[in-house]
Amino acid sequence: MAALQLLVNGVALGAAYALVALGFVLVLNATAAVNFAQGDLVMAGGLLGVAAAPLIPLPGIVLLPVVLALMAALGLLLAVVAYLPLRNRPPVSVFISTIAVGIILQNGAAILFGPEPRAAPPLFGDDTLRLGGLALPEQSLAIIAVAALLIGAQQWVFGRTQLGRRLRATAQDPEMARACGVPVTAMILVTFAIGAACAGAAGLLLANRYFVTPTAGGDLILKAYIAVTVGGWGSVPGAVVGALLIALFEVGVSSVLSYPVALGALYATLLAILVLRPQGLFGEAVRRRG
Amino acid sequence: MCVAGALALLVYALTTASPYGLRVLTVAGVYALATFGFQIVFGLGGALSLAQGAFFGLGAYVTGILGSRYGLGFEATFPLSLLVPVVVAAPVGLAVLRLESHYFALATLGIAQVLHLLAVNVPELTGGANGLAGVPGVVLFGWAVPRGLPMAALVWGLVALGGLAGWRLTRGRLGRSLTTLRDDPLAAATLGLDVGRLRLTAFAVSALFAGAAGALAVHTQRVVSPEVLEFPVMVSILTIAVVGGRGRMAGAVLGAVLLLHLPEWFRFLERGYLVVYGAALLLTVVLAPDGLTGLLDRAAVRLFGPRPRRLPDPREPPRPPTPAEGLTVAGLEKSFGGVRAVDGVSLALRPGGITGLIGPNGSGKTTVINLLSGLEQPDSGRVRLGGRDVTGAPADRLARAGLARSFQAAALPGGTSVLEAVAAARLALDPDAATAEAHALWALERLGVGELAGRSCDGLPAALRRRVELARSLVRRPAVLLLDEPAAGLTDGEKAELATLLRALAREGMAILLVEHDMGFLLPLAGRVVCLDRGRTLYDGPPDGVRRDPAVAAAYLGTVPPAERPA
Repeated sequence: MAALQLLVNGVALGAAYALVALGFVLVLNATAAVNFAQGDLVMAGGLLGVAAAPLIPLPGIVLLPVVLALMAALGLLLAVVAYLPLRNRPPVSVFISTIAVGIILQNGAAILFGPEPRAAPPLFGDDTLRLGGLALPEQSLAIIAVAALLIGAQQWVFGRTQLGRRLRATAQDPEMARACGVPVTAMILVTFAIGAACAGAAGLLLANRYFVTPTAGGDLILKAYIAVTVGGWGSVPGAVVGALLIALFEVGVSSVLSYPVALGALYATLLAILVLRPQGLFGEAVRRRG
Repeated sequence: MCVAGALALLVYALTTASPYGLRVLTVAGVYALATFGFQIVFGLGGALSLAQGAFFGLGAYVTGILGSRYGLGFEATFPLSLLVPVVVAAPVGLAVLRLESHYFALATLGIAQVLHLLAVNVPELTGGANGLAGVPGVVLFGWAVPRGLPMAALVWGLVALGGLAGWRLTRGRLGRSLTTLRDDPLAAATLGLDVGRLRLTAFAVSALFAGAAGALAVHTQRVVSPEVLEFPVMVSILTIAVVGGRGRMAGAVLGAVLLLHLPEWFRFLERGYLVVYGAALLLTVVLAPDGLTGLLDRAAVRLFGPRPRRLPDPREPPRPPTPAEGLTVAGLEKSFGGVRAVDGVSLALRPGGITGLIGPNGSGKTTVINLLSGLEQPDSGRVRLGGRDVTGAPADRLARAGLARSFQAAALPGGTSVLEAVAAARLALDPDAATAEAHALWALERLGVGELAGRSCDGLPAALRRRVELARSLVRRPAVLLLDEPAAGLTDGEKAELATLLRALAREGMAILLVEHDMGFLLPLAGRVVCLDRGRTLYDGPPDGVRRDPAVAAAYLGTVPPAERPA
């Protein structure tokens, strides 16, 4: 029963991580650029929820579209400021420019909100359902449901719509896509918006049970990165699976030992994976672009 | 310019600086020292290490723990503060440096997080979240260096030493090798540079500098806490390096002095100074990628004109003894996915012989060259170079064993002069950069383009680029030379010159493989021609037979050989 309880907690955490990793890998595929600000975007989404809660005294789920829209706008801004001017420069330039945006977000948040942890309102309610001996916090179930819904929506858009086809074409081969008349720059902007919206949603989902601090982004980007590395660099389903694995690992080890040990073990595992199987557990999805 | 800057700092420190001002200046020196290391691994080597702040913190903790808990003096703690970060850097570097750069950033960020976790969660050793107080000041040969001017002088003395060492390193073989591999790791490997070993060296040197800076920071502050391991330290170092000018020691000093004083000048920012750092970082990356020193350089060029570069005296590089055997391959195979790109190719390139490799587009010619030069590993088959089995050897080892190749699209580094680009090909062979440049000039003159030496590689017309690329191969005096379409885009006159040159090289004993489409150029030149089609050898024999061979004609013209015709 204890194991089942951990599984629920792990999957709830993993669902939120999956959104973070999903946003990261979508941008990675569309631009071949590593968005280092992804963790800070999660933090920003969480704090947006915290800030909006007193203005909209309704359950957290009502905040979700607000956070999604604002974060998508922030994603566009990120693309315009930190990606588009650098798209023809070596990839490390974008790495640095997104680190810079992350620094601005993180320290801007520290000035606006102070360093202490904040909590956003729960999505539906704060109660805990009892099912046999199992304690199911409503919020955990809501996180799983909302994340599943958002990931499903992303899959549907990418798999079934004209926009999705164009987005995938851009990610696969921007030159070819442009030759076929796909507006590549617009598609990249849309991808950044989706990636930031995913991060913001994850922030809102996490900011109730796990709180949010301005410096939370560093750990989150590492976890997104680890999820994508574990799942195979560039693989979208791999990123989601990787995120779930990380969360289960974290929840499992934390329950037996402690959270710092879990985090330490996670990084040690990451280094081991990089050394022994740099292509990820399921193989690398993107090859180097020439 | 550097001298003027140093004098200005000295005058400021001696005359106008308050005790507080001296302290800020001291901290700026500490950051300059940490950034020197970062300039080497990131600025020159292009490997974005996010552990520079962590190594700084590690050096700080080594001094803090040994000094405050065990009462050890500066003579013991300082060397150990340098050593421990290097010891931590080495195994991690060894493991991940051959991977692509983003994995390196990730792994180094992982180191940083683990060290921070340890500092907070092992209070018995580190004092936990509160850290350790009571770290002694610097005691040099029994003299306790007081705070204020003497401490500032000590730190800046070390900055001067470290900066000079870093600058010499930048100008020398290691620095040049690092920039070569930063600009194009594949090309660097084919020039004989061991990418992994170079990056590891740079990473270790960066840790050394960071450890020294961390130790000095703790001696200045007299306490050590997990703050030294937090991300703002890394952010500061990164911002200093980029704003000051990537890869430049002077940039590290300029950036450190400027950015450490920024919060002092703009007091109203309070804790918000990091937002300003972020903005400065973003603006510099987008608008002035060469940083402030780059801007100053350009201003100086505009004011005083380009600084005349003294060219070295050309010197012929020594020719290694011609081996009795050239390059032989037997049964080479390579598949990509389900496609057999190379299917059982055998070749023998003998010293003094020119072999032509022809075939329709997509027949596997370039893959053969990639396999021979170690950029791809064959699935099966044996390769022997100079009488030794080198099957599966990496590109840099093959290059050092006497193999050179050119690329279809001449891969010259941007932003460097032609002389430097050619000298880069000698870095794995010559004792120092000056010798490499003297040899490079010889090669350029031999190809009749000595006057290009001072020109930038950017904007060179295609024919000249090819020549410079050829000089890069030639200067290494290889035993085996693989050329991928060297005549493409050349005029008839230039082709004739190239043919004369290649004949001369062959007479000297070089074994040459020419991939070429231009039969009028190739057939008179080659002693033997191999024709590939869909990865297989269609023809292997004298050049005059190739035009009459029905299989070759079929491959080029698309007629189906009778055996494969459907009944």
